[in-house]
Amino acid sequence: MSEEILRISDLSARFFTNEGQVNAVSNLDLTVERGEVFGIVGESGSGKSVTALSIMDLIDSPGEITDGRIEYRNADLAEAVADTHPEAVDGEFVDLLSIPEDARKSLRGSSFSMIFQDPMSSFNPSLTVGEQIAEAVEVQRRATANPRSTKARTKSVEYSLSSLVLSTVLPSRRFVTEAGRKRAVELLDMVGIPDPAQRTDEYPHEYSGGMLQRAMIAQALAGEPDVLIADEPTTALDVTIQAQVLDILRDLQEETGMTIVLITHNLGVIARMCDRVGVMYAGEVVERGTLGDIFQRQVHPYTAGLLGSIPDIESVGGRLEPIEGNVPSLLDHEMGDRCYFADRCPKAMEECLDKPPDISAEGSEDHVAKCVLADHPYDPARALPDDHFEELTVGQGTAGEVADDD
Amino acid sequence: MSMGKFLFRRTLQGVFVIWGVVTALFGMRAVSPGDPATLMLGQGATRNLIERVREEEGLNEPIYVQYFDYVTDLLQGDLGYSWRSEREVEAMVIERIPATIELAVAATVIAILIAIPLGVISATRRDQPADYGATLFSLLGISTPNFWLGLMLVLVLGVWYGIPYPSLGISSDLSVRFGIGFIDLPTGRRGAGFVEGLMAIVRDGSFDELLTWLRHVTLPAITLGTYFTALITRLTRSGMIDEIGKAYVTATEAKGLPGVLIRYKHVLRNTMIPIVTVLGLQMGTLMGGAVITETVFNWPGLGLRLIDALSIRDWPLMQGIILFVALMFVVINIVVDALYTYLDPRVSVE
Repeated sequence: MSEEILRISDLSARFFTNEGQVNAVSNLDLTVERGEVFGIVGESGSGKSVTALSIMDLIDSPGEITDGRIEYRNADLAEAVADTHPEAVDGEFVDLLSIPEDARKSLRGSSFSMIFQDPMSSFNPSLTVGEQIAEAVEVQRRATANPRSTKARTKSVEYSLSSLVLSTVLPSRRFVTEAGRKRAVELLDMVGIPDPAQRTDEYPHEYSGGMLQRAMIAQALAGEPDVLIADEPTTALDVTIQAQVLDILRDLQEETGMTIVLITHNLGVIARMCDRVGVMYAGEVVERGTLGDIFQRQVHPYTAGLLGSIPDIESVGGRLEPIEGNVPSLLDHEMGDRCYFADRCPKAMEECLDKPPDISAEGSEDHVAKCVLADHPYDPARALPDDHFEELTVGQGTAGEVADDD
Repeated sequence: MSMGKFLFRRTLQGVFVIWGVVTALFGMRAVSPGDPATLMLGQGATRNLIERVREEEGLNEPIYVQYFDYVTDLLQGDLGYSWRSEREVEAMVIERIPATIELAVAATVIAILIAIPLGVISATRRDQPADYGATLFSLLGISTPNFWLGLMLVLVLGVWYGIPYPSLGISSDLSVRFGIGFIDLPTGRRGAGFVEGLMAIVRDGSFDELLTWLRHVTLPAITLGTYFTALITRLTRSGMIDEIGKAYVTATEAKGLPGVLIRYKHVLRNTMIPIVTVLGLQMGTLMGGAVITETVFNWPGLGLRLIDALSIRDWPLMQGIILFVALMFVVINIVVDALYTYLDPRVSVE
């Protein structure tokens, strides 16, 4: 049943800051299949979250998607926009970046929904949890109440300021209805919140972190989305709670058959949850493949480095091996045109001074790495001297200082 | 702690504040130079009258007895007697309260209706022409002195262009000419107020009195409300900009919620807390009577009466008005604190 649902190609997202252009995501390619759990793993600042926000169209100024396509398989949507935006449609796929903003926004909730890292700050502190979940329910109810279209609608839900003003006196004009509230209780029940009918009237600060993360999952499920994007869903939680939340996600995924894109820096979470994995570094997917490809047959030294830095309960005693060096600067003028990992890579060779393409690697047919090691072995004779990049960085540093003095 | 208990505690605190004000007011009169009886009566009073006032006001008693009598009278609702006007101070204060409340509420309503949408627009269209316009407006509004704005409105609208504020059965020649004011100068009677206007509608279905009132209140309310509007616009803008950067806003956008709800139901609600604080404090100030605006427009509120009392050194009347203003301040502050718990559930009444 491997049917692609999301096809991201050549995606670049840039942030135009005072320090210069930051290349948060560069020429990123990945595909997500329907019904799978796709993991994106990488260090902080590797572009994982920006990728997720790009899919949701939530990149705000000063950030911008500068290039690429995000294609989403939805036959109804393809039909709906075929006449007005033929360039966006490719079979059943629609390029989300070439359709109008309103149409893109209308996919939020019903096609894509998202759960965030910190549940405590991702709920509005001054509204009850039930109210906020009911809002998500209402968005979908109102969208599908329109008989002309189901999920193929291209207009986002409307609610005018005058309705909002009137709703203070007329309950019938309120955005959230009784039916929405009822559904919110059911959703809370579904994610295992005890006594949901009472909990629905409580405020976020009255919930524990784990409960609130479940409530956020409930909120994300309100629209029965095709793809659920979970951005570090367990990072802010206690270890014991993490497992519960992951179990809930796994169970719901099996029940509903939805697709999950799981973003994390924790390889343990990846191993537990995912079918396929993309490893991100400096805004690129440096290696992707099935769980087996990444954990047993990894090619990229960065992937190997990530795996080497996980503590192993079986072999206590040895020291963990951290990856030397730091995450590279993503400032455009400091990035250069080479393998971005070469300066930290224990196996850097002369070839690495050119940008490596995606190279198929041994393993499943999806296994691809942006590393020359995928097609030929490490040759110590061609290794770069240890201090190769040090000189370069010093040179760059001076250049930077001169520029500042101007 | 329950709301009732909270209100009880705050009221108790308020009582101490008021007691402090009372003591200060008493002390000020006691230490101010000159004979209190002469102060109350003015220079031309006869010796007999001065003696009588000394006797009746207990000014021959020791100071602590005077203080005790003063507090006892206040507790009984007796603010004293204005020998200058030959009337009870309570009556003189009470009759001015409606006009003061009308003007304060009208100015606040104008401020809220204009400032909050303007602040929201300004924050959501940051660095666009609408934002520059709103920012310029609030800068001008904050830096324009009240008396100047009032005079200019009278001069430009009333005198130069003769915008029809007149044809008021209740006004004097002067206010007909300038389209301002509220009092019928020859008789000194006050025109119909807001409540009378409403009652006229109920009584005989006539909107005339309410419209008349509206015509009278517009310019003073704009004058008084401009600074206030500018202030709230600024607060709303900066508060919204802070709030919009928070994670829950992104999460709300991710739900696909309509923009109006994100801006007003979610973001604005969390921005309201500092705004309500300022609104409350300003309302308290306005309750004291907007002295300058009331003077410019001859608006029969407490501010005008306070100025009158000051100019003739009518001590009992001044004391009565100041005490009332302090009381309003305390009450409004308690209301504002109670509102916090409604606006932000994390603030418990403890």
